[in-house]
Formats: sequence, C-alpha cells, structure tokens
Amino acid sequence: MNQGARATTVAVGIAFGFLVTGSGFGNYTTIHQALLLRSWYLFAVFGSAVAVAAAGLALLRGAGVTRYGGPLRLPHAPARRRHVFGAVIFGAGFGLTGTCPGGAVAVVATGGLGGLLVLAGLAAGMWLRGAAGRPALDQHLEAAADQREQPPLTCTYGSGAVGSGTERT
Amino acid sequence: MLRLLPALLPWWLAGPGLGLCVAALYGLANRRLGVSGAWLAAVVAPVEGWRGERWRVEFLAALISGALAAGLLGSATRLTGYPVLSAVLPAGVLLPLLAGGGLALGYGARWAEGCTSGHGLSGCAAGSPDSLTATATFFAVAVGVTFAVHALSGGAL
Repeated sequence: MNQGARATTVAVGIAFGFLVTGSGFGNYTTIHQALLLRSWYLFAVFGSAVAVAAAGLALLRGAGVTRYGGPLRLPHAPARRRHVFGAVIFGAGFGLTGTCPGGAVAVVATGGLGGLLVLAGLAAGMWLRGAAGRPALDQHLEAAADQREQPPLTCTYGSGAVGSGTERT
Repeated sequence: MLRLLPALLPWWLAGPGLGLCVAALYGLANRRLGVSGAWLAAVVAPVEGWRGERWRVEFLAALISGALAAGLLGSATRLTGYPVLSAVLPAGVLLPLLAGGGLALGYGARWAEGCTSGHGLSGCAAGSPDSLTATATFFAVAVGVTFAVHALSGGAL
C-alpha cells in the first residue's frame, strides 16, 4: 500500500483513540448512565459522529474517488440473521462491561486494569466464533435464510469490501 | 493524570471529531474504520493461521497510542481495577463478569461482522442496512441488559 494511505491510517488511528478516550468511553459511569437513559452525553457524541461522517461520505460519494485508495467503495449490505444474532450477544457484552472493542482500550489507557481482562475475553470470543460457529451453525442459518444469494465464503470479516460480494460504490 | 484535559471532552468536539475520522479514512485511504476488525487482524488472525491486513494492525497500534496519550493528559486517569465496578462488586463477581462480557463482545462482533465503530459509525454513516440493523439491535440489548444490572444490583449500579 502507498505511503499516503498508510500515513492516513496512522493519523486517523491516533485521533480516533484520543477522542474515544477523551469522550469518556473508558469510564463505566459514562456508558452506564447513558444505557440507563439518564445521560444524553454518549448519544450526543455518537449521534453527531454519525451525522458528520454521513455528511462527509455524502460529499465523497459525489466525488466517487479517494485520494490514495482509488474509486470509493462504501458498504451497502443487506441485513442478515447473523447481524441480529451477533448484535444481541455483542449488546449483552456492551451492557455488562460498559465498554466495547474500542472503549476497552480507553478503559486501560485511563488506568482501568480490568480492561485487559475484557480485551482478553474479546480475543477469545472472536476465536471461539471462528472455531465453533462458522462451518456448522452459520452456514446452516445463512443457507436457509438466503438460498438465492451466493454463500459468504470469506473467513476474514470486517473488510466487507473484500470478498463479501455485497459491496457497491 | 496530567489534568490537561477535562474529564469529558464536550460532545460537540468529540462527536464530530470521531465522525471526521470515519470520513477521512474513507476519503483518503478508501478504508472502513472498525476496531473489532483491527483486533481480529492483529490478535486472532495469527492464532488462526491467516494473515490479517497490515493496515488494520497499524491502525490498532495508532489507536492505542492515541488512547494512551489522552490517558496521560486526562484529568480522570488513575489506576483502578475497573472504574466504578471494582468499587461495587467483589472480585469473585467482577472478574467473571469482565471476562464473560469481553467474550460476548468478541463473539458477537465477529458474528455480526462489526462493532460500535465498524457498524455503528462507519456502516451507519454509509446507510448500510446490515449496520443499521446491527446497531439498533446492540444498543437496544445493551439498554435492556443495563436495566437488568441496575435491578439485580438493587440500584447500586
């Protein structure tokens, strides 16, 4: 990959980590009070982030091209059962720990050593999903749900753009 | 620690800043910002014997650096077991809860193909139906679980 894309990734990573930590995602109370619907701070952060990102992506859509990465490819994938089932389990972890995969970094960075345990669980959970889930349960559910779609065959998730076949510009 | 940052950045600074991160990573590098994908590529891929994309690993390292910088500058930083929870829960409850909660986060994020950032920010901003569905689901479940925690702890949490 070219140096521009690499520098962008590093700069954005630093800014993202800084802002996630600075906006209290490392503090159980901040998240917990929001999820008890007693504080609007988290939702204001989250909502304004999505709004600004959506406005930015709308402009980029018009341009259609990225500075270092070629033609813009934005995700547009249909909702499947895995997105609901996975999100239910994820939401349970979110509510219990008051943090998420990025927030857990902020927990540790602000001195919460228990965040390391959450991160260890996070990695173990991902591994478990890869080991136990994929061949049997997932494919059975997916095949039943969308017979006419081509089955997802990639084992790397997250890029979406690579191999899921559902991406479009 | 150094108390140069307030405990919480104002929402109108943090929120739009996070949104700009998503837009910048797309607009400059054509990449989808997502933290669980970064953890997967950096930590789980080597164990499973496949090669995660290098940019995800670099993104994670940068994210950790930025978080540590904010932690060092922040006024709310101090060494704890787990903020608030370790003051309320005994270790015999806290440790399984953190490990089990982390397990659920990882299992669910991989199954749903994204987390609060990849679906919640990037995917929702792009208007992708899978992300909108996943985000609505995990926020709703998290609120439900949090109310359950509140009730079970007799209002202590």
